[in-house]
Amino acid sequence: MVDTLQSAPIVASGRTAGTRTRQRRSVDWKSEWRRNMGTWLFLLPALIFFIGYQVYPIFRVLWISFTDYQFLTNEPVKWVGFDNYISAMRDPLMWSSLWRAALFTLMFLPGTIVLPLLLAILVDRVKNPRLATLYRVILIIPAVIPSTLVFVLWKWMYNFQSGPINHFLVDTTGLFTIQNAPQWLGGTALTLPSIAVMEVWWGLGYHTIFFLAGLAAISKDLPEAARIDGANEWSVFWHITLPLLAPIMMILVVLRFGSAMAVIDEYLIFGGFNRASPTYTWTMFMYEQAFKIGLWRQGFAAAIGMIGAVAMMCVMVLLLRIFRPKG
Amino acid sequence: MSSETVQRKLISTRPTRGWFERNRSAIIRHGVINFFLLIIVLPLAWVLMMSVKSLPDAMRGNFWPRKFDFTRYSYVFHKIETLPINLFNSIYVTAGTVLLTTLCAVLAGYALVHLRPRGGGLLVAALLVSLYFPTRVVSIISVYEIQSMLGLINSTTGLILPYITLNLAISILIMRSVFQLVPHEVIEAAKVDGAGPWRTLLTIALPMARNGLVVVFIVNFVTAWGEFLLCTTLTNDQAARTMPVVLAGAQGGLGQWSWPNLAAVYVIVVLPGIIAFTFAQKLFFKGMMEGVVKG
Repeated sequence: MVDTLQSAPIVASGRTAGTRTRQRRSVDWKSEWRRNMGTWLFLLPALIFFIGYQVYPIFRVLWISFTDYQFLTNEPVKWVGFDNYISAMRDPLMWSSLWRAALFTLMFLPGTIVLPLLLAILVDRVKNPRLATLYRVILIIPAVIPSTLVFVLWKWMYNFQSGPINHFLVDTTGLFTIQNAPQWLGGTALTLPSIAVMEVWWGLGYHTIFFLAGLAAISKDLPEAARIDGANEWSVFWHITLPLLAPIMMILVVLRFGSAMAVIDEYLIFGGFNRASPTYTWTMFMYEQAFKIGLWRQGFAAAIGMIGAVAMMCVMVLLLRIFRPKG
Repeated sequence: MSSETVQRKLISTRPTRGWFERNRSAIIRHGVINFFLLIIVLPLAWVLMMSVKSLPDAMRGNFWPRKFDFTRYSYVFHKIETLPINLFNSIYVTAGTVLLTTLCAVLAGYALVHLRPRGGGLLVAALLVSLYFPTRVVSIISVYEIQSMLGLINSTTGLILPYITLNLAISILIMRSVFQLVPHEVIEAAKVDGAGPWRTLLTIALPMARNGLVVVFIVNFVTAWGEFLLCTTLTNDQAARTMPVVLAGAQGGLGQWSWPNLAAVYVIVVLPGIIAFTFAQKLFFKGMMEGVVKG
């Protein structure tokens, strides 16, 4: 304890907590060791869960992917090398299911970035404090609706017979008849766009708040100065606001790319295990192989999961490189 | 719009321009915002209306019912047998998850910032990588294996264990960046006064990290309350499942699962979160600014 008293706080800025310069002293290694043990006691509960349910499972799945492992059998597990990977790569379903996930990501990502950005810029200009708060509270409501309940809600919205969307199109406006009303879910070409719209709806408010926080951090002087110099609103946005928001945008693009590529709950609820459906992506392929009675091929499923995860991680690293702020 | 602001100031003395002309950009702005807000609210309003419709009105599909029927709410509690069980499961699992995750995150976040362990940087890096890796999906095979080894398949309590990890990494990172806002001098001063690390955390650091705590609470509540993948995979008994998962499997039709009944269940399940959030929203927004954006 005396030791810490003398070493002045180096972590004033905060961010460097993990990488502080360590002062080496020959005397007190014993108390230093004891201090570290006490500290790791604080970290222990988090580590148990993080390692037990995240780090270990990933390496376990990696190991499983090189074996003919199966749940609940007594037969000894055989190491099969890259066999699972080879048969997965030869399976056309592997590639079509990866492509479907990518297609969904392409439909979802632009909308979920651009719309909130525009909305944030509009809400940021609302000067009335009460109105600004009200807007924010309404915006965030979908973000506090738990995932499954969002999917259930939209499953009803998109319902062919009794959903309000088709009711609006058929009964209220008469744009369609019962015969040609759009079949939103259920494996048609409309299914992925419909799910993408739902996801954009879900993230709209949350991402707007995200951008609003970014806008609040930008000093108002710079845009103001540019305006006085005669810059129009569009070039202020393009040359000042957007570059300053770029770091936040990068985080959102990469995170949402990751979540969109790995969507599974929605597909389980909307699509089911129909291999022809556009919702049958690599995650569904993996899940079906692992958990459907009769298939029960966990080794093969693990290989599919690893291929999918590595493929999307590669793109994410690429995205991080592209969007890295210059300078 | 900017040149317009300048113009507006110059012109405002001239009474010839009407109210609409002067406020045109503001009107368009609020119009667009409200359009999007309407899109956000409409599906929710539809469910709420559905839950108080009489059966023929539900079939008709108009937004505003001709006849209201508020008995749905008591009906679903009495007539759908597993409903109270599922609802209890949801509350139980969510409470367990939120409390344990928050505990882990507070302890770890505090230790990473103010106790500065060796290897802390490595842990932060590992947590960050886990945010980008599709861990939840890929690890499900192994999580199933772990749970069946522990005899926790079909156990509602057992769900809490994997649920904790769903948001553990982000919770620790949020708490870490919130604790970074607590000046190190304050912590040092407490130490000088003879307070141990536990007491410093409880009496000094934690009250200052209140906003971040609210964010961690809400984020974990929302995830645990609506979790689907783990619950369907690790349980197959209707009575062991949480309410949203049962709701996702229900087909709208007639009888006890008729549309208004389903909608009533939906409202019961979705409302606690929205109400809790409305009360906590001020703290939540502050915490968002401190924890998420700066972290």
